[in-house]
Amino acid sequence: MRDTSAPALAAHIRRFTYHGDAAPVLGGISLSLAPGTLTAVLGGSGSGKSTLGRLLAGWLRPGRGGVMDGFLELAGTRLEFRGTPGDPQIDPTAWCRRIGFVPQDAAASLSTVRATVAEELAFGLENLGTGRADMLEAVRRVASLTGLDQLLDRDPARISGGELRRLAIGCAMINGPAVLVLDEPFASLDADGSAALTALVRSLVADGTAVVVLTQEVDALLHDADHCILLSNGASVVEGTAAQLAASGELAAAGVMGACTGRDGSAPRQPARAGQAGIPEAGIASVPAGLPALELRDVRFAYERPPARRRSRRPAAGAANPAVLDGVCLAIHPGEIVAVTGPNGAGKSTLLRHLNGLLQPLAGSVRINGQDIAGLLPGRVAADVGLLFQNPRDQLFERTAEREVGFGLAGGRAATASVRRALAAVGLAEAAGTHPAELPASRQRLLALATVLARQPRVMALDEPTVGLDRHGLAMLDTAVRQAAAAGAAVVLVTHDLAYARSVAHRMVRLDAGRLHRI
Amino acid sequence: MSSPSLTLPPQSPAAARNRRLLEILGALAIAGTYIYLVLNQPADITGGPGSAAALIALSGFLVGAVLLIVAVLPTLPVSTLVLIPVALVLNIVLGQFVGSTLVPFYLDAIGTVLIAVLAGPAAGAATGALSSIVWSFFNPTVLPFAAGAALIGCLAGLAARHGVFRRFYLVPVAGFLTGIIGGVVSAPVAAFVFGGTSGLATGAIVSAFRSMGDSLLAAITKQALISDPMDKAIVFTLVALLVYALPRRTRLQFPFVRRHRVLAGLDVQPGLDVQPGPDMEAGRPTGQDS
Amino acid sequence: MRLHPLTSLAAAGSTAVITTAAACFPLSVAVGAGAVGLSFVAGVAHRMLPAAAAVLVPLGLSLLVLHGLFFPEGGTVLAQWGPARVTSEGLQFAVERVAQLSAAVLALMLFSFSVSVPDLVAALSSRGVTGRFGFVLASTLTLVPAISVRVQRIRQAQESRGLLIRRGWAHRVIAFRLQAVPLVLSLVDEAGTRAQALEARGFSSRGPRTSYREVPDPPFQRGVRLVLLLAAVAAIAARLGFPTAGA
Repeated sequence: MRDTSAPALAAHIRRFTYHGDAAPVLGGISLSLAPGTLTAVLGGSGSGKSTLGRLLAGWLRPGRGGVMDGFLELAGTRLEFRGTPGDPQIDPTAWCRRIGFVPQDAAASLSTVRATVAEELAFGLENLGTGRADMLEAVRRVASLTGLDQLLDRDPARISGGELRRLAIGCAMINGPAVLVLDEPFASLDADGSAALTALVRSLVADGTAVVVLTQEVDALLHDADHCILLSNGASVVEGTAAQLAASGELAAAGVMGACTGRDGSAPRQPARAGQAGIPEAGIASVPAGLPALELRDVRFAYERPPARRRSRRPAAGAANPAVLDGVCLAIHPGEIVAVTGPNGAGKSTLLRHLNGLLQPLAGSVRINGQDIAGLLPGRVAADVGLLFQNPRDQLFERTAEREVGFGLAGGRAATASVRRALAAVGLAEAAGTHPAELPASRQRLLALATVLARQPRVMALDEPTVGLDRHGLAMLDTAVRQAAAAGAAVVLVTHDLAYARSVAHRMVRLDAGRLHRI
Repeated sequence: MSSPSLTLPPQSPAAARNRRLLEILGALAIAGTYIYLVLNQPADITGGPGSAAALIALSGFLVGAVLLIVAVLPTLPVSTLVLIPVALVLNIVLGQFVGSTLVPFYLDAIGTVLIAVLAGPAAGAATGALSSIVWSFFNPTVLPFAAGAALIGCLAGLAARHGVFRRFYLVPVAGFLTGIIGGVVSAPVAAFVFGGTSGLATGAIVSAFRSMGDSLLAAITKQALISDPMDKAIVFTLVALLVYALPRRTRLQFPFVRRHRVLAGLDVQPGLDVQPGPDMEAGRPTGQDS
Repeated sequence: MRLHPLTSLAAAGSTAVITTAAACFPLSVAVGAGAVGLSFVAGVAHRMLPAAAAVLVPLGLSLLVLHGLFFPEGGTVLAQWGPARVTSEGLQFAVERVAQLSAAVLALMLFSFSVSVPDLVAALSSRGVTGRFGFVLASTLTLVPAISVRVQRIRQAQESRGLLIRRGWAHRVIAFRLQAVPLVLSLVDEAGTRAQALEARGFSSRGPRTSYREVPDPPFQRGVRLVLLLAAVAAIAARLGFPTAGA
C-alpha cells in the first residue's frame, strides 16, 4: 500500500504559536520524508526541536495545544491549518498508528497502569483490539529488536533510565509506524546503549521506516542521515547533508554540540569559550596552604535500610547494611575545582548531600571553613554551601526567574545587583520575568545554577551540571565555574563527563567502593 | 482535501443527551436520598442501630455518585482523565495526613477543587466521586461520602466558571458557601452510616452539641457547619494560590480555562485566541466542561 | 481455586451490605473475625491489620466517647459527671455500631489488600465503560508511592537553597506553597505528556479492545457473583421491608 514515490510525511509550518504566547515558537519549516530515510533535525536548546517533533507526531495537535498556520501531510492525506475554528481536528488514534514518537522524558510516556514491561509494550495493541496471538508475536519481535527480552516480566516503574528509553522506543514502534520521531534519543545513554540504538535505527531505516532524530549533539548516527535540518529560533537555517551543514559553519552558532571537531572528535565537548581572555585557566601552580573551605574527615555513611528490603528479619542496628561511604577524606581549598567521578550507584549524590547537612555522617565529620556542620539545619548551612541538584525541576518554585534567584537573599540594592549579575552570567538577563517552568529544560538548569551563583557561596557543589546543556549553555557553565573559583570559592563537581572534568578541574578523584581515589 | 480517517468526527447529539440524562438521574438520586433521610430521621436513631437509614444513605448516595461517574467519565478528554489520578493522589495523601492529626479539618478535596478549576464542574464532580471510591481501597469509611465529594467538585467548577477565581477575595467566600452545602449534604451519611464522625477532633465537637440535647443528625450537621465551611475556604484558597503559581502555558492548555476565562490575567494579551469572538471556539470539540 | 478479582469484589461488597442490613451484633463480630482470619490465610495480615487499625481505632474511640458519654435518648444512667451521662443504651449503641462498621471495613479491606491490582484492571478493561475507571485506579495506586519520594527530593533541593521551615501557621502555609508548586507543576506537566502518549497509543479509541493479561473467569464464578449480588439486593429489600426487625 505504501507508495515509495510519495513522502511518508510532509509538513510545511508557516507559524505555530502556543496558546497564551505572543510570539510563534516555530516559523518557516518545510520537510518531506521519503520512506526508508533518516532525517536529522539539529538545534540548540530552545530552538523548537521538541515542539516540531511533537507537532509532526500528532502529540501536539493544532487547535488544542496552539495555533498553527501551514499543513501536515501523512500517508497521502494533507490537512491544512489556518488557525481558525474550521480547521480539521487530528484524530490521535488514527494519526499515531502511522507515526511513532519517543519524547525526551521517556518515563512520562508510559501508561502507569501496566504491571510488566510486556504489558506496557502491548498497551497500544490492546487499545486497537489486536488479537492475542498477534499481540504476543509483536511483543516478542519488538522486545528482541530493542533488547528488552530479559526484562519482559519486570515492573516498568523499577527499570533503569536506559532501559526506560528502550521501552519507550519499543512502545512507539510496536504498531509498525511508517514514520518514527525520536527526541534526543541518545541523552543519558551509555556507550553500549548508544551503539545498540544506532543499530536499531539503521535496521528500521533499512526496513523502510522514515526516521527523524531530533538532537543537539552531532553524533555518529548523523553521518548516515540522508537529510539534515538545522533549526534556530524555530526556523530552518541550513539544510542539506551532514557535511554541508558542517561546512556552513552555522552549527556552533546555533548551539549544537560537537560540531567543530567532527567524527575523530578528540575533545567533542570542549566548551566553546574555555580559556578565553579574562577567564583564568585551569591548573593552579601550587596548592594553597591554610584552612580548607571544605573538609571531609573519614566520613562513613550507610542507609538505615537497604532499598531492596524483602525479609522481615531485621538486621542488627545497621551492621548488615553496606556502607555507601566508607572513610571518605577530602579537603578543598578556596579557589580549587575538584571533579568527582565514579560508576553509577557509587554514591556520588549521597556524598554531595553530606556537604550541606542533608545527610549526616554516621562517623567522621564535615567541616566548612573549619567548622563542623553536624546538627546544623541544611537551610543554615546553605549560606556557605550552594548545592545544585540534578533535576532542576525540583529546585524551582517561584513565579519568575528573577524572584527565583532572589529567593532567600537579604533584599536591598546589593541583593538586586547580585540577582542581575547571576542571571546575566547564565545568559538569562532577558528572561528575568519569565516563569521558570516555561523555560526550556537546559535553561532551567542554568537558572538553577544562577540561584547558586547569586548566593556567592564559599563552597559550590554541582551534581551532573553538564547534562542536557547545549554548546552555549556549557560555555556559560564553564565560565561561571571558573569565575567562582577565581573569586575564591571551592568547587566540587560530580560528573560522568570525563572530557569536561579534565578541562576544568584542578584535581580529579574517583568514588569507588565507598572511598575516594586520586586519578 | 481532508480524509475523514485522520480527523475526528464532531460529537453526536445523542451521546450528549444520554450523558445529560445520566447526570440528572445521579443528581436526583442524591437529592432524593438526602430529602428522604432528613424527613425520616427522628424515627430511626432511637430505635437502635438505624440500619435501614444506613442502607438508604449508602445505596442512594452511592448510586447517585456512580451514575455521575458513568455519565461523565467516558466523555472526558484524555488530557483531563490523566489529571484525575494526580488529583486523587493529592486528595489521599493530604487527607490521610491531616486526618491523622488532631485538626478538625480534612483538606481532602484539594485535588478535586484543582481539577474543577482547570477542567470544569463535570470533571470536578467525577473527580470527587472517584476520589472517594479509590481512597476506599485504603480506607473504606470514605466510600459513603462519594456524593458529597462529587458535589464539592461540581460547585467548585461552577464557581470557577462564573469567574470567582478571577477575584482573589471571592475565593474563600465561595469555598465557605460550598462547604456549607457540602457539609449539610454529608451530615446524614455520618449520622446514619457511622452514627458519629470518624475523627477524634470532629467527634469532640459533636459530643459538645449532643451534651446540649441535640439529636444526632442535628449535632453532626452543626459540627459540619463548623468544620466544612472553614475547611473548604482553606482548600479553595490553597488551590487559588497553586493555580496562579502555575505557568501561563500550563494554565492555558485547559480549554475550560480558556473559554470561560476562569483566571485573571489571561485576557489582556493582544492577538491571542482567548479574546471574545469566534476564536474562543479554539478548544470547542473537546466537550471538556458542561 | 484462584478467585477472579470481580468475584472477590462481589463477595466483599455483599458481605458488607448484608452485615449492615442484618444489624446483628453476633453476625458483625463473626464477619469481622472471619475477615481477620482470612487475611492471615491470604498472607496480607501484616499490611492489612495496621491499616485497618489506623482507620478503626480513631473511629471506635470517637463513637465510644460520643455515645458513651452523651446519649440524651438513653434512660438507664450508669454514671454521671456534670453534663456527661454514661447510659447503657448509649454504650450498647456505640458497641453495636463499631462492630458493624468494623465488619464492613475489614471485609472491604480484605478485598483491596489481597486483590492483584493488575488482574483487577485487566478484568475491568475488558468490560467497556469501566476501562477508564481501571485506568484511574491503577494510575493512582502507581503514583501514591512515587509522590512521597518526590516531595522528599523537592524539600531537599529547597533546603539546599536556604529554605528554613520554621514553626507557626503562616510559615507552614508558605512552605506548603513552595513545595506544592513544583510538585503539582511537575505532576500536571507529566500528566500532559502522558495524555499525549496515551492518545498516541490509542487510549481514546472507541473500537473493541483486547487484553494481554489473561484473567481466567470460569462460568462457576460468574454464577457465584450473580448469587452474591442477588443476596445483597435481597438483604436490602428485607431490611427496608421490615425496618425494625432484629434491632
